[in-house]
Amino acid sequence: MTTAAKRIEIQSQKRLGALMRAHFLDLDEASRDPSRRVAWCTSVGPCEILTAMGFDVYFPENHGALLGARRVSHELIPRAVGAGYSAESCSYMTSDIGSTLAGVSPLTDAFGIAGPPKPDLLVYSTNQCREVQDWWNFYGRRDGIPVMGICPPGHLGEVTSEHVAFVSGRMQRMIEEIENKFALRMDYDRLSEVVALSSRASALWGSVLDTAKARPAAMTFFDGAIHMAPVILMRGSQTAIDYYKSLLTELSQRVENGIGAIPDERFRVYWDGMPIWPKVRELAEKFYDLRTVVAASTYCNSWAFDEFDGGDPLDWMARSSIELFINRDENTKQRFLAQMFDRFEIDGAIFHNARTCPNNTNSRFGMPQRIRAELDMPSLVIDGDLSDVRFFSTAQTMTNIEAFVEQLEERQR
Amino acid sequence: MSSPLYVGVDVGSSATKCIIIDKSATLVGHHVISSGFDYAEASEDVVRRALLQAEGEVEDVAACISTGYGREHVKIANKHVTEITCHARGARESYPEVRNIVDIGGQDTKVIRLSDTGRMVDYRMNAKCAAGTGTFLESTAHKLGLTIAELDDLAMSSKEQAVVNSYCTVFAGTEVIERIKSGQPREDISMGLFRSIATRVSEMIADPEGATALTGGVATHCRALLRALEEVLEVEIFLPPMPQHAGAYGAALLALKLQLAEKGADTPC
Repeated sequence: MTTAAKRIEIQSQKRLGALMRAHFLDLDEASRDPSRRVAWCTSVGPCEILTAMGFDVYFPENHGALLGARRVSHELIPRAVGAGYSAESCSYMTSDIGSTLAGVSPLTDAFGIAGPPKPDLLVYSTNQCREVQDWWNFYGRRDGIPVMGICPPGHLGEVTSEHVAFVSGRMQRMIEEIENKFALRMDYDRLSEVVALSSRASALWGSVLDTAKARPAAMTFFDGAIHMAPVILMRGSQTAIDYYKSLLTELSQRVENGIGAIPDERFRVYWDGMPIWPKVRELAEKFYDLRTVVAASTYCNSWAFDEFDGGDPLDWMARSSIELFINRDENTKQRFLAQMFDRFEIDGAIFHNARTCPNNTNSRFGMPQRIRAELDMPSLVIDGDLSDVRFFSTAQTMTNIEAFVEQLEERQR
Repeated sequence: MSSPLYVGVDVGSSATKCIIIDKSATLVGHHVISSGFDYAEASEDVVRRALLQAEGEVEDVAACISTGYGREHVKIANKHVTEITCHARGARESYPEVRNIVDIGGQDTKVIRLSDTGRMVDYRMNAKCAAGTGTFLESTAHKLGLTIAELDDLAMSSKEQAVVNSYCTVFAGTEVIERIKSGQPREDISMGLFRSIATRVSEMIADPEGATALTGGVATHCRALLRALEEVLEVEIFLPPMPQHAGAYGAALLALKLQLAEKGADTPC
């Protein structure tokens, strides 16, 4: 049973499609133009440095998500496993490496380009996981491309000025390495400009997500997983700011007119952990049919940072990169979740136990049990994966979700 | 038309079960058949046979709720409800004091936790893996050239424990071969398999307080499972009169409730 026809689509999505096309075509052109340089960077990595130094920036994790969403990861991962990368390690990494080894990419179908742009530089931060280091080094070794990384302190409770200074120092050193390697000079005024643009887009993204606080919620987590593309891929650009201004206007109108992403919204749930990209559409339809809105998520909020105050741009970048949820300790994460439950008036929390992404899975150290006991918040853990559909059982998961909503119904009585 | 009938149909991965009750919630018909390849056909067949026992006709069905993995294939159903809610409802009817319900089916194992007022407060399902399910037993028994009933008989005559540790069904099979090679009695190895399931179940129980009931198809056929669970969990476990039908029974009770609610009457369930 599907009720997709009744859904009122977000109109900005059409514009998003055009933006994405332009973005990837431009990257493709950059990779073929000897006068331009392409850098690959991890999401929430130090991409503002790269943009300010004139690199065109490509984010491979997006490619991993796209491979998952196109449901081809499980066909490509065996190639990476054959090359020695465990099937139980990050499926973004294994599907991306598999895709390179197989010489295929969903970017060809989507945008008519051969694949990811060829990099001149590979830059990572392990603020979200260590796998990116090995992922980037695969390409570094294979193609002889310089790899530069930052390994910030992780699992932090309080983020101290010492933590920020350490990461900021590492960023400064990376700038110097890039300057030396590519005979460039950082323009720090330009870096401030890029950081200001980046933080403005990020703040607008936060406001977009906040439209789900309304009853009915103007958007869902599944909408967010699509519309977050510019805040990841186009950070530091006016394009991202313009897009979110327009999206925010549309969603604010929805709130004013009482239009919900799900008509007759009955329950509001929270999604913790990674999206299950190959099943996003099916899951969105399941929640739609159950008239339950996934109103907020840890994932989408990972790109909503505090706005840049005009001080040291490296300090803002350093703080943003280590303050994010995934880089914090369990107690801090629990406090964040409690705040989100209050802000979005959540009835129940769903934790995605992603088989190949332990770092972005928060159900493995008693969190669902603690929030149930301490916050009286019903919780459900579903097994799956961000990209590898072989770790997901549709029948089992859909039954689990339906039963969870039945549990919420019982609480309501 | 004779008295109204309330039907619960549980279309599981292995078996399709039907329970029919009357307006006083008295059992008047039941049946179980293999689910096979066609869930719609299986559900029609099982309802027809249960109606024969109930001496009723399809026209007498006042309300029907379907449950189980094939719940959406039951044409006669007024509503679908998950087997988690239905097993909880069925077990609670048999044992009002029950707090933990362990349902071991062909495809999955669930542990459902009820509050002291009978409200479902939590549930857990096994991970995407056959270990701890009926399929685990079927697969291992098949490898040993036994039926599940024969495996159960052997296990019930076990004197000592043989440990099967593996989480994975395939690895458990390998472990069984190792036990055979080391000369351990087949009775003890058989009981080790049931204890392996019981150990998996124990990992899913968050709060052991209160009475525990066992439902599902495996409970119907395997006395050794009940024994293994009681030994591992160290509690007495209630077995409903028709454990395989607990989900269908719960669905029938919910069908009665649904119909009474639509009429605005007080609901006894």
